[in-house]
Amino acid sequence: MEIPGIVRSIEASGVGEWMRMSLKAMPIVESIHVFTSAVVFGTILIVDLRLLGFPSTRRAFTRVSDELTRFTWGAFLISVVTGLLMFAPNASTYYGNTAFRIKMLSLLLAGLNMAVFELVTKRSVASWDSNVAPAPAARFAGAASILIWTTVIFVARWIGFTKGYNYDIPAGLDLNLQFPAQ
Amino acid sequence: MHEFAEWLQASSVSLTIQSVEWIIPLLQSIHILMIGVVFVSSLMITLRVVGSVRADEPFAAVWSRFAPWMWGGLVVMALTGLTLIVGEPVREFTALSFWLKMTLVAISVITIVIFGRTVRPEARASASAQFSAGRKAAAVATVVLWLAIIFLGRAIAYDVEVWGSLSLHA
Repeated sequence: MEIPGIVRSIEASGVGEWMRMSLKAMPIVESIHVFTSAVVFGTILIVDLRLLGFPSTRRAFTRVSDELTRFTWGAFLISVVTGLLMFAPNASTYYGNTAFRIKMLSLLLAGLNMAVFELVTKRSVASWDSNVAPAPAARFAGAASILIWTTVIFVARWIGFTKGYNYDIPAGLDLNLQFPAQ
Repeated sequence: MHEFAEWLQASSVSLTIQSVEWIIPLLQSIHILMIGVVFVSSLMITLRVVGSVRADEPFAAVWSRFAPWMWGGLVVMALTGLTLIVGEPVREFTALSFWLKMTLVAISVITIVIFGRTVRPEARASASAQFSAGRKAAAVATVVLWLAIIFLGRAIAYDVEVWGSLSLHA
């Protein structure tokens, strides 16, 4: 079964229907998504800054990372669930939206960056865990992660402004846009 | 006040913010990034107070690590927020959610300032110091306040659905 078919099935599902018809569900789901995504970004930022050795390398990287992991993953899980709940009612629209595609690609890149770090770079952690500048590969992982997650947030906001239409306004066309942005 | 909002919305600054396509999305994105910074910074301090994270470090170390980011983030949010308000004043001023949000932001900031200033020197300096139940409750309350603020922020766009006749849109 190809992807457009799967997307249409999701859109026609009971969950999609419920999210479309419910008056209060969407704002609540969106708010939870903002909150949990803020926790994901904020906790990842702490670990990434530590990977960059900023503001200090006094506290062991493994300590900083280990105690935040459960918050990051717990929040990420809820972000995924709320994300799917937002995706379902308008699946086809999001699927065709460029900003949405860039966001999904960025999430994949973030996962890849994390996998490489966990499986390869972290093997040498004992030598750069505390009081020394982190290994170059560790610093790269931290910088890349900050860049990717910042992109996720910017591009995600852009979805709200572009979903439903993916075309440029023709040059010379005077549109009297009086409505406020959502 | 409604007249002021309408006057502001017709000003050239406001019109520029409304009409240049990328300004509002950019401001909102920065605002959202800062939610991550502010909320998690505040969360880390609260988690330290309840003893969940960095319990091996004294409160002073955790406060000095995260409080500057929290305050800095709040300054950026005030600036982006103010610009967003100038861009869409009628939308904000006619939303009950907006006024509730601003009230809670003020309460939250005041609570954290008072909390930070009234931590006793022994509790501040020693890693083994325990905080009272009241202190822990206050710390948890600030996190709950930020959560309410996040929900109210989103509710501005749904003010009538959320508040019905209480919304100032009527």
